Amino acid sequence: MSSPFAIVVKEISRSYGEIKALNKISLDIPEGKIFGLLGPNGSGKTTLIRSLIGSLEPDSGLLTVLGKNPIKDRFELRKHIGYMPQLSAVYEELSARDNIRFFGELQEVEDLENKVQSILEFTELTHRAEDPVRTYSGGMKKRVSLACAMIHEPKLLFLDEPTAAVDPHLKIQSWELFRKLAENGTTIVVSTHLMDEAFRCDQLCILNRGELIAMDTPKGILEKGRTTLSFKRNGKEEQQEISSEPTALAQTLKSFGLEADIHSIELYPDTIEDIVLRMVDKNTIPE
Amino acid sequence: MISKHLTTISKRVIKQLILDKRYLALSTIAPLVIIGFYKLFADAITSSTPGFVIARYAIPISAFIVHFLCFILCAIALVQERKDGTLERLFINGVHKTSIIGGYALGYFGLATLQSVIVLTETIWLFDLDFTSGEIILIFIVIWLLAIVSVLLGIFVSTFARSEGHVFPFIPLLILPSIFLSGLLIDVSLLPNPVQIFSHLLPLNYANNILQDIVFDDLNMHETLQNIGILLGYAICLWILASSTLKETE
Ligand SMILES: Nc1ncnc2c1ncn2[C@@H]1O[C@H](COP(=O)(O)OP(=O)(O)O)[C@@H](O)[C@H]1O
Ligand SMILES: [Mg+2]
Repeated sequence: MSSPFAIVVKEISRSYGEIKALNKISLDIPEGKIFGLLGPNGSGKTTLIRSLIGSLEPDSGLLTVLGKNPIKDRFELRKHIGYMPQLSAVYEELSARDNIRFFGELQEVEDLENKVQSILEFTELTHRAEDPVRTYSGGMKKRVSLACAMIHEPKLLFLDEPTAAVDPHLKIQSWELFRKLAENGTTIVVSTHLMDEAFRCDQLCILNRGELIAMDTPKGILEKGRTTLSFKRNGKEEQQEISSEPTALAQTLKSFGLEADIHSIELYPDTIEDIVLRMVDKNTIPE
Repeated sequence: MISKHLTTISKRVIKQLILDKRYLALSTIAPLVIIGFYKLFADAITSSTPGFVIARYAIPISAFIVHFLCFILCAIALVQERKDGTLERLFINGVHKTSIIGGYALGYFGLATLQSVIVLTETIWLFDLDFTSGEIILIFIVIWLLAIVSVLLGIFVSTFARSEGHVFPFIPLLILPSIFLSGLLIDVSLLPNPVQIFSHLLPLNYANNILQDIVFDDLNMHETLQNIGILLGYAICLWILASSTLKETE
């Protein structure tokens, strides 16, 4: 079964009692890309990721990860999947080195000591590598957690809000790292509630209240916004709203014949926040 | 694969125990102190009650301490794994639950051995008790078996707990009745009949049977093997119970 998609999700649903955490979500995640899950808290990002790694069983729907079933073929998939949970999920009494080594041993990583050393350098943890993790800052714990998720160089990396509580400098570095991993063929599924971060992904889906409300490239999502054209003529102002698609503006201007006495054409594009929040509002059924 | 994961996990469990100073202190100093208190109590009671056999209580109390501590420490450690998300992480890294149960049992077996050595050495030294080397080996075997049963009971109970606090109601339910009903303080045969049924459900009862026989030089090969067999049966049943309640997926 060869498919250009690392992950195929068909109509999966999952409820916790009354709460529908996921409601008939379908999506395909291409290989070797950074795929973003964007949505406010409680929108179902963690539930979706945990279903994909096989630690949650959906109530209904079909899931294929690297051509396999994440629950039934759990033991086959384990070498190819890396997971960084939303909580740090590391052993607080152990040092960073011990934590990374432990997960490396479970994964039977070859040449483990050298790999541990280079991943410690990579995540800038060498200076504190022997201290117990409980003495680390939130951002450092996140890096230990990331290192534990990557020690076996998985094909597929699931990152649940990896840069929450990470300082801006390291946030940028983390994203450079994710990009580098993707260039080397790793498929990355990353969740976030931050818009600026989401727009660093290759592809993006927006979740709200367990529903998928949009899936596109960040550019495609931006083009779903509207552009307001403001015509000022003889001191009088006339406004017209067009779509943000690149052809739309030219089209509109043609109908105006681009008259010589139009002295100003200004663009007021929607911000990313405006677009996403409007999508969320539309999707939110009033109680 | 399972055996490799099992040893990796047990090594980690032991390392964590050694690095967590509070755990280590609780599991080694507390038993020492309790035996010390028992010494004070025994000295007072022997002067007022002639015929009081110190060893009758000292050895079973040592066993109870190991039973209690192994149960509670193991249950709490596993609840922490679940709460912190490291348990989920173990499963995602392809660890089978057999490796987790076995790894914990093996790791805490190490702790139980340390505790047994400490507690028994102190007891034998403080009360000037006299056992043959064969008897001491048998005492160790019994306490080890009891420790394994306690660890498995702790793992089983931990599967019902979402936080450390949820473990505590199980102490009066499962552990404290052992003090009064398992022959630790009074022979089970002296208890009312319906209560005896309950006594026979407590694993400490079977450990206590052997320990009493050792203390009173009343060892009987057949009975000893029977009691050991029952303790092994407990271990097997609890292993099966723990594996059926430890869930790999939600
Ligand atoms: N174990 C659980 N028990 C009950 N409800 C849960 C549980 N996990 C998640 N939920 C609910 O499911 C919804 C989606 O949660 P989650 O997937 O964690 O969202 P996100 O990661 O986007 O913040 C929320 O309403 C949350 O309260
Ligand atoms: Mg989440």
